[in-house]
Amino acid sequence: MSELGRLALFLSFCCSVFAVGSIAYGLRSGFAGPLRSGRRAVWVVCGLALLSVIILERALMAHDMTYRYVAEHTSLDLPPMYSFSSLWAGQEGSLLLWLLILSAYGAAFLFTYRKRLDPFYDAVAMVVAGVMVFFTSLLTFVSSPFRILATPPSDGAGLNPLLQNPGMMIHPPILYTGYVGFVIPFAFAVAVLILNRSGTRWIEEVRRWTLFCWGFLAFGILLGARWAYIELGWGGYWGWDPVENASLMPWLVGTAFLHSVMIEQRRGMLKTWNIALIVLTFELSIFGTFLTRSGVLTSVHSFAESDIGTWFLAFILLTGTITTALILYRKALLESENRMDAIISREGSFLFNNVLFVALCFATFLGTVFPVVSEAVTGTKISVSAPFFNRVNVPIALVLLLLTGMGPVLSWKRATTSVLKRNFILPTFAGVLAYLLSLPLGVRGLYSSVCVFGSAFVATTIVMEFARGVQARKDVDPASLPMAVLHLVQKNKRRYGGYIVHAGMVLLFVGVLGSSVFQKEAHAPLKNGESLSIGPYQVTLRGIAEHQKNNAMHTIATVGVSRGGKFLSLEHPTKAVYMKSQQPMTEVALRSTPMEDLYLILGGVNEDGTVSIQAYINPLVSLVWFGGVVMVLGTMISLADRMRIRREGRLGA
Amino acid sequence: MGSRLRLVIISLIVVAAVGYLILTGVKQTGMQYMTVSELARLDRSPKSDGFRLDGTVAVGSVDYDQKAPRLRFYMTDGKEKIAIVYDGLKPDAFADGREVVVEGVYRHSDRALYASKLVTKCPSKYEAQGLGKDKS
Repeated sequence: MSELGRLALFLSFCCSVFAVGSIAYGLRSGFAGPLRSGRRAVWVVCGLALLSVIILERALMAHDMTYRYVAEHTSLDLPPMYSFSSLWAGQEGSLLLWLLILSAYGAAFLFTYRKRLDPFYDAVAMVVAGVMVFFTSLLTFVSSPFRILATPPSDGAGLNPLLQNPGMMIHPPILYTGYVGFVIPFAFAVAVLILNRSGTRWIEEVRRWTLFCWGFLAFGILLGARWAYIELGWGGYWGWDPVENASLMPWLVGTAFLHSVMIEQRRGMLKTWNIALIVLTFELSIFGTFLTRSGVLTSVHSFAESDIGTWFLAFILLTGTITTALILYRKALLESENRMDAIISREGSFLFNNVLFVALCFATFLGTVFPVVSEAVTGTKISVSAPFFNRVNVPIALVLLLLTGMGPVLSWKRATTSVLKRNFILPTFAGVLAYLLSLPLGVRGLYSSVCVFGSAFVATTIVMEFARGVQARKDVDPASLPMAVLHLVQKNKRRYGGYIVHAGMVLLFVGVLGSSVFQKEAHAPLKNGESLSIGPYQVTLRGIAEHQKNNAMHTIATVGVSRGGKFLSLEHPTKAVYMKSQQPMTEVALRSTPMEDLYLILGGVNEDGTVSIQAYINPLVSLVWFGGVVMVLGTMISLADRMRIRREGRLGA
Repeated sequence: MGSRLRLVIISLIVVAAVGYLILTGVKQTGMQYMTVSELARLDRSPKSDGFRLDGTVAVGSVDYDQKAPRLRFYMTDGKEKIAIVYDGLKPDAFADGREVVVEGVYRHSDRALYASKLVTKCPSKYEAQGLGKDKS
């Protein structure tokens, strides 16, 4: 079977090369035949990638230890769901998953535009196939998942306990779906440059693809945060770890693009900037893969170091150089059709938003690679961590929050003073009120205050926008209020979907504020019956037990949680020790309410028989997750907007 | 033209502000990234006291007081050793010989680094090790 896998990968490499060559020839000569065969080759790559994944999955599920990959990442006692997800536990399998998703995007792209005869779409497919060449060549010549061991071991090394979590099932595939998807916008941009194509139709199509993977990336990042929160046991969900930053950076630039693309659609401005943002988003997603795989930086995610990083770096340099050259070569195509009329306008605020998002990305990038940069510049290695990112990124993010409230209600071209008054008096009032109300709750300091003010400000502008929409449609749609809001969203999904994303962002800001500024911590060694108090809670040890489950020995503490003398629930913070590796794994007990999470960690049983318990109260953490879900929902609503696109497409053409 | 100029000025102000944030951020939160030997061989107090060290946990040096909780151990790069004091629960992956990264304040008088952050790298035993050669 492994030979079949290797053959499939080699053939997929050949097909990718063929697709690029055939489409390039077709585009030059104008013949339809080569274009058609090139497109078919992309489909074939998709089929071959799927076949390779099936072969590897079969080996993983059957614990076939003749495969090096299987022996390295699984063991006989590994539960089936984790054997399945071991596909993306190591480098070779992750690359294979990359290829599968990449080729699936290629196929989805071809399927979406199967009725369009425009060679432009062939050019896009050619660029996608070009990226496929890179990944298939890595899988074929550098890092094959189908290596066979001369002497297969009786049992494998086992899966890292950190990865034995339900999060492992969904976080990596969803994150990859976001990451890899940016290849389509990138391919669009390169195709536009190659064919010297003007017009705005492609920009709307690109917006939809970008929105799709942007939503997936957001969801993936969020799942990762949730995973870290539940599994890593340090009471937090975001640590500015290099790999977290790597996934955040393309998201930030993608967000900038999703905003500035509206200016291009409306006003024909910022064309070069938009192309640059698309290219940057793609390069950053490749860079993210490079960071995780190269071992240049230390991170909780650092997997085994390998020399594959060099290949990624070379690929980034190559694609970066080609696209930069193309942008310079096609300067005339990217000439702006309009000029900025005023700063206080929709365009102005979007431009400001873009500068800040890119700045945020730049600061994150710089902080992530700072040891490397500082060594090159000054000779001494300087490293920065969470305090740096909080210091630099928090103020930028807060300004962005304020802009979230201002941008959408400013008019295009030039906003008049009366519009400003009408739109901003009430939100400002709400912001100040929220700030005053937050004072007794203990909100202090500039950043926290701005965050409270900004959140209320933005929330009010969003509510006002919905109210205004419902009001305007009152005569045509005399439905009850909830129905009227629903109809309003249905009527203009793109716009109101965007507002819903903004609302989710506000919730996220409030959640981050609450959980970072007001976190409480307490720890104590407890005897049976003794309690530890944290905030309003009493945590009482009721017992400790050991038992074996699956491939690990679990030590489970039973604690009673009460609040103000009233018993609430029994919780079970646990420590599991995996047989295979003898590595302990902390399993947090989480008591979640909308207002706050009680987060309990079992430190362990001490020599004198006491049990060490560490407790955190994380206020408003649920808003982080809820806000994220709202954002994803808003993205889906925006994506559902089909009717409008046709209309605008006609206008723009 | 006036608004174009204003736009440029505003952009410059933003860039300058971000640059200022980054520079002061690095100054105030930057940590010197050193090897264990470099730090151990310093003969007087270093200028700044924020440090980040990479190395491995010296075998047999771990002293963990779970009740406090306080973790003390020696970190080594094979040549020199530095004492590390970390107030917190022992990370799951932490063990003798594991690769760790610590960040914190170095006190030359105690020859010890008081860590505020301790990251244990995922043990490489989950990747290729001792599985022998590929069948060709």
